[in-house]
Amino acid sequence: MAEIIFDGVTKIFGDDIRAVDDLSLAIAEGEFMVFVGPSGCGKTTALRMLAGLEDITSGSLSIGGRIVNNVLPKHRDVAMVFQNYALYPHMSVERNIGFALKIRGDSKDEIKRKVDEAATILHLNDFLDRRPKALSGGQRQRVAMGRAIVRNPQAFLMDEPLSNLDAKLRVEMRLEIARIQRLLGVATVYVTHDQVEAMTMGDRVAVMREGKLQQVDTPQDLYDRPANEFVAGFMGSPPMNLIRCHASAGNDRVAVHFGHQVIELPWNYTSSHALPESGLEVVVGVRPEDVLIVDGASTNTLETRVERREALGAEILVHLSLLDTTTSSTSDGELSRPVSLVAKMGPRTKVSVGDILYVQLSPEHAHFFDATNGDSLRTRP
Amino acid sequence: MSVITATTKQNAGPWMTLRRRRQFAGFLFTLPALALVIGFIGIPIGQAIYYSFTSWNGLTSQWIGPSTWSQAFHNSNLWTALQNNALLLLSVPFALGLPLCIAVLLHQRVAGWKVFRSIYFMPTAISWVVLGLVAERFFAYQGTLNSIIHFFGFSHTNTNMLGYESTALSALGITFVFTMIGTNTMLFLTGLATLDPTLEEAARIDGAGRWRIFRSITLPHLSRFIQLAFVMTVIALFSALFSLIFVMTGGGPGYATTTMEFLIYQTGFNQGDFGTAALYGIILFVLTAIVGIVQLRLIGSDE
Repeated sequence: MAEIIFDGVTKIFGDDIRAVDDLSLAIAEGEFMVFVGPSGCGKTTALRMLAGLEDITSGSLSIGGRIVNNVLPKHRDVAMVFQNYALYPHMSVERNIGFALKIRGDSKDEIKRKVDEAATILHLNDFLDRRPKALSGGQRQRVAMGRAIVRNPQAFLMDEPLSNLDAKLRVEMRLEIARIQRLLGVATVYVTHDQVEAMTMGDRVAVMREGKLQQVDTPQDLYDRPANEFVAGFMGSPPMNLIRCHASAGNDRVAVHFGHQVIELPWNYTSSHALPESGLEVVVGVRPEDVLIVDGASTNTLETRVERREALGAEILVHLSLLDTTTSSTSDGELSRPVSLVAKMGPRTKVSVGDILYVQLSPEHAHFFDATNGDSLRTRP
Repeated sequence: MSVITATTKQNAGPWMTLRRRRQFAGFLFTLPALALVIGFIGIPIGQAIYYSFTSWNGLTSQWIGPSTWSQAFHNSNLWTALQNNALLLLSVPFALGLPLCIAVLLHQRVAGWKVFRSIYFMPTAISWVVLGLVAERFFAYQGTLNSIIHFFGFSHTNTNMLGYESTALSALGITFVFTMIGTNTMLFLTGLATLDPTLEEAARIDGAGRWRIFRSITLPHLSRFIQLAFVMTVIALFSALFSLIFVMTGGGPGYATTTMEFLIYQTGFNQGDFGTAALYGIILFVLTAIVGIVQLRLIGSDE
């Protein structure tokens, strides 16, 4: 078990494709760190550099206090679970799991003991004689895990290991992987594009975009205090509502103008956020569960119309459009959505498409972002 | 009234069940292929078996029974040809091993690999007659091989591999290996292209070095391609060497490079004994089949 430190690690493919840009991050012993981000954000490249499968262009990478930039994969003492499992098709489950031990020169008895131990943890004892092709997706995934844990490595590296499983199995294996990681207490770096996996599995989550680390924090802190508009929009399902508007702090109030509609937020926002005083453009962010339906119009309500209603069983997602506004959605291309709000409501809420609803934004949970660079305007945790 | 009639007809059922109709349709669809197989393979084999019991000069045949068979097996040329075929089998490991090494190197994407790939594949695109002529010049007394030997300072050493019974078959085998390199290299490159690169990466992380990865991951993956290459090479060795032999040695010196295939030609077209030639054809067919079956039994996968 060991600490992993990325120190200004950069990876450039070809002449100018920066897959990972100046990544600095420390992963503690026994920590479950999740790298999350959209396709092409550099999360897998970062993992492959850690595994030794990609060269590092600049910066340094250490495992257990040893710089490993030029160390071969086999000498890094890490184990990796691949997206497609990468099981050796001509070997039985037993040989797959024991392959690394055989190469290491362990005795046959020792290999058998360790393979049996891993198989017991992973409930694979009945499948040891089978070839990978005779296993289900979940069983293959467990064999890949077995191959990793049998070596008792310094770190586990997992590259989207659940993405080939169906939804139900994915939930089961999510719990299984988290259980095994806690049981073994080995530092784990887990790459995924699924923010639900990131939120539920990681001790901490590193959000990446276009090769750059956006924020690294605990899942709840990422959700509650996103560092920028991208993290706010990426973490959470459905994502945070991000709306361009004009805000001005003055006269003991924070006024937020959505076109002709105005709401007021508590003055204490000014002590935690660097809000503009003169009605400059900002992006306000509100989670769907913080959009509250109220009975009638008042000074702090927005008039909306129901455009769409999605019943999910346990809750209803209501897509609302702001009436009488010239408000635009965020300028961020990836986050651009129609001018609308999504509100999460209880399953028994009676709403229909076309209804006019008055909503309030939960005064305690509004987020403000700079309209030009997307950074959070929060000045205090 | 019309409703009742329709119901009655439905209860009676069609004259043929759906399953039988499908079987019948399947049979009909196989008929053209079956006709081709029978016409172009089955009948010629049957004719060859028939002619092997006749004295046939190419125009008229006369049934003489199994005496052709007993006479043929007393012919020393048959045993020489069989022996030559057996000895040429020794070139098969080289015809597989060299392309395998080349394919593995090319697969590493070494500098200029595309150029090398074209060079190695070139013999495949050239007629074996041309290759035979080039090889004949290469091994000749005043040929390229001796020039190379002299270039390296061995000016008093001369070879004439095609001129001696003891070495002519080796020269033929070397030429055969050369002609097979392109095809087999391409086959192995195709196999390597289908190898999931994450398997190699997983093995590297598991602690395997290059040789171990080749032995434990690459080679098992290529086993089916190696089997195919083996069968193709053996078949080529038994049935496609004619042009090389014809151009390079004419089967000589003596019968030193006469293979079964060349013996069939000599017996049929030089001696006009097509009955015996048909018999040799059958022997060659059986031998090829045996080698193929034995190979499949020995290396065959469990799939």
